[in-house]
Amino acid sequence: MSQELIDAITEMREDDVVAITNQLLDQGVAPTDILMSCKQAMDVIGKRFEEGDAFIPELILAGEMMTSVTDILKPRMAEEATSDKLGKIVIGTVQGDIHDIAKDIVAFMLDLNGFDVTDLGVDVPPEKFVQTVQETGATIVGLSGFLTLAFDPMKDTVTAFKAAGLDDVKIMIGGGQIDENIRQYTGADAYGRDAMAAVDLAKGWV
Amino acid sequence: MMQPGRTSVIACATVLEEITPLLPEGMTCVELDFGLHLKPANLKQVLQEAIDKASEDADTVLLGYGLCSMAVVGLTATNCTLVVPKVDDCIAIFMGSRQAYSAQSGAEPGTYYLTKGWIEVSDTIWDEYQKLVERHGEPRAQRMMRLMLKNYTRLAYIDTGHRDQDHYRDYARMVADAFQLRYEEVQGSNRMVEKLLKGPWDDEFVVAEPGQTISYADFQTTNRIAGNSFGITPAPSTSQT
Ligand code: B12
Repeated sequence: MSQELIDAITEMREDDVVAITNQLLDQGVAPTDILMSCKQAMDVIGKRFEEGDAFIPELILAGEMMTSVTDILKPRMAEEATSDKLGKIVIGTVQGDIHDIAKDIVAFMLDLNGFDVTDLGVDVPPEKFVQTVQETGATIVGLSGFLTLAFDPMKDTVTAFKAAGLDDVKIMIGGGQIDENIRQYTGADAYGRDAMAAVDLAKGWV
Repeated sequence: MMQPGRTSVIACATVLEEITPLLPEGMTCVELDFGLHLKPANLKQVLQEAIDKASEDADTVLLGYGLCSMAVVGLTATNCTLVVPKVDDCIAIFMGSRQAYSAQSGAEPGTYYLTKGWIEVSDTIWDEYQKLVERHGEPRAQRMMRLMLKNYTRLAYIDTGHRDQDHYRDYARMVADAFQLRYEEVQGSNRMVEKLLKGPWDDEFVVAEPGQTISYADFQTTNRIAGNSFGITPAPSTSQT
């Protein structure tokens, strides 16, 4: 564990994070160890956020820093890892909604846990989800949404998959106050409270 | 028949800003902390407590809230009739109808809305930016805000018809400039507020009779249907002025 890296992340020193990561790699530290430090740092920020001590933009910047670290690590990890991807997932924030912080975190965690993730971004219309699944051959779809206005587009997206004959595609939803009632309303296969739930659901489907 | 003296309004400061000028004489109102909207679970609890308390002296409780991220789902009309506008959040209330809000957000989802009330209670992206500057200095705060708003293209100021708007317009324009958003003004309306206060509570409102609990399905249907999938008994959707 590198306390130096953890501190740089929790103190939001973006440039230092990149420098320290490269330094650690040069010293021969394993990428997985570096990721452990990142996770530790994210836990600290997550806790602060829960306690109302961190602002949303800080959470986003932390996410950005995580991405820059993994971008550095990925080529190295790919060299070592022989593992095939667990499965293909298409994810996006549904039509009319552009909250993407949580969606990014979910996509990131799925990626980290061995899934091949296609992220369609925000305000994604139902047809776009269907089309992308047809193109990529993905078997799992993740729909994110924070506005109650997003529940109908979620429902429409589930319907669009049925209409396209893609009944086998598993659809999970999440974001904000989404619960079992909303899952039923939209007709999705499952809902998840957080990014780990998304990973667990996806693993259960491959 | 609605009696102002036996009716109580519960709203957050932003919506209250629009309610106060139209409040019928004798009707009481309770202001709840605006910050609560960021924590829907807390909001639900505070709302239920406020309803329970208000129903000691009132037969009818009017909520100046929308679904507000499901915070009103699960609320029970303790000893009173509970009336809630059938809208997603307060932005629809400011615009005068659910349709007006849908039209706006459908046309450009990447819109951040501002009203006089939001600016008054200091809960805007500008206020958030100020706090970040204090903590991290200007360049990093700018970078964080830009990341957060990367999908946003427009800042829309909702003109709710107050007389002293210029100050708020200038403020909204300043915020738009600071974050490189296109500034636009959207016509607001007090139609929804007026209807909440004076009726008729037609299918633009959820009306829960004493003992009933509000469900998500109530917000979906134009008319409440008996024995819907959420297991809630319907209330008549007739007007009750
Ligand atoms: C940050 C935020 C914003 C930012 C968004 C920045 C961005 N790039 O996303 C800004 C300030 C720009 C914004 C704008 C608006 N917002 Co906003 N926003 C929020 C806020 C405070 C936090 C949401 C968030 O990102 N949380 C952080 C994440 C990480 O937390 P999390 O939920 O725990 O995340 C986990 C789960 O959700 C889950 N998950 C998420 N997606 C998925 C998907 C799958 C498949 C699975 C399994 C799991 C999963 O995993 C995540 C990671 O662990 C919420 C309030 C709240 N506390 O929820 C309001 C809130 C969602 N916003 C709201 C509103 C009204 C708006 C605006 C309309 C306001 C305005 N004045 O214009 C606009 C328009 C947005 C639009 N058209 O989409 C309302 C929605 C009310 C409603 N209608 O339901 C809320 C609830 C606040 C409120 N009560 O007023 N917002």
